[in-house]
Amino acid sequence: MDNSTQGMTDLLVRYLDGELTEAEKQKLEARLDVDVELQEELASLRAAREAVQQYGLREQVAGIHRQVMQEMHKPQRVGGNIRRVIRFSISVAASIILIVGAILALNFFSLSPSRVFTDNYLSYELATTRGGQADVSAVEQAYRSKSYYEVTRRVPLAGNLKDQFLVGMSYLELKNPANAIEAFRRIVSTNEEDGGGILQDETEYYLALAYIANRDYDFALELLEKIKQEPAHTYHERVSAKLIRQVKALKWR
Amino acid sequence: MELSKTLSDSALVESIRSGQNIEPAIRSMYRDYFGTLSWYVLNNNGTQQDAEDIFQEIVVRFIELVQKNKFRGESTVKTFLFSLARHTWLNELKRRGRAWAREEKFENAQDHSAPDTSYLIADREARLEIIKLVGELGENCRTILLLYYYENKSMKEILQLMHYENEQVVRNKKYKCLKQLEEMIRERPFLKQTLINLLHG
Repeated sequence: MDNSTQGMTDLLVRYLDGELTEAEKQKLEARLDVDVELQEELASLRAAREAVQQYGLREQVAGIHRQVMQEMHKPQRVGGNIRRVIRFSISVAASIILIVGAILALNFFSLSPSRVFTDNYLSYELATTRGGQADVSAVEQAYRSKSYYEVTRRVPLAGNLKDQFLVGMSYLELKNPANAIEAFRRIVSTNEEDGGGILQDETEYYLALAYIANRDYDFALELLEKIKQEPAHTYHERVSAKLIRQVKALKWR
Repeated sequence: MELSKTLSDSALVESIRSGQNIEPAIRSMYRDYFGTLSWYVLNNNGTQQDAEDIFQEIVVRFIELVQKNKFRGESTVKTFLFSLARHTWLNELKRRGRAWAREEKFENAQDHSAPDTSYLIADREARLEIIKLVGELGENCRTILLLYYYENKSMKEILQLMHYENEQVVRNKKYKCLKQLEEMIRERPFLKQTLINLLHG
């Protein structure tokens, strides 16, 4: 075995790279057991290798990050052929625009927050429990029996998140969006603070509807756009471009 | 280019752990979690750039943890990432010296449901220093070390990619570059210790 400094370092590097024969490896490990300086040098070389791997991973993620951000922010480009088709279509569409415009105007002026709310609202159904009534809270029982006023009376502020959610839903059923907003916001805050996600998707969707009913269109839009951007969101499919357009229209009116 | 299709938690973790399909896994994380987690930063005094930086940071950290078997699936990936993002962002706010009421509230709160990941991001600044240090190597050195130690290329493959005279020249060059980096690290005991800690998880 080469005992010169460079020779030893070379051996350590080959050891690190898994290039030593079994005999060389055993001999080096025996020496490492008793040579503190050699142990230190090996530790530093391992650290150097780890630093390279850290750098490599970060660079790879940074590269993908740049691509993904570009993709997300890329303006929609229209190709030459499509442009020609569009030009042709414009002349055809011009005559249609007047008719569509009239229909849109009718829709626009007949649009109301309660209509948008009703079109998108579905009562929240609790899953059937196997354990019978003993397993469900009094709030849940009241909700199941559609005693919405009873639900809102039963829950103290410190109730669990599921009960809080049912309170929010009950207020929506009772056409009291302001109180529903308050209940749902408590869930969002608690999840935010705890890092949890209990009924988060459900809460975000119904909170958005409550905002619409309460004419808080900016808040509603913020949530709807968030849901729309998240394909994994439970309510992603329910938030259509049409719904977002309708809320924007309500805001402009 | 399209963002990857959504992967289940187990498929995502397996892709990262095997190291074979890491790029689709990263894209899947962007597709599924970037919206929610950047929303959290944006709603807590952060800018779009902050949100992007924090997300990038936690993707790196998550991959390392999975590859070192430190993520055992006790919580969902979403919950785990959210916890990482929250701790990373709160630490960043602290670093910037902002007094933020919510931060106080968070620090005092008992967190029963989310995994405590605060210890996982404690060495963030040291890790950024490490990246800076590797960046200080010459470009050829950096490339040869990355090809060998990160991309697991053989000397023969590196020879083809970098046009050296022969494999022995590549081997010598790699040796000198690693030694140079080792000396740079040895001069910085704090960074060396951080790297040793990372090695041992």
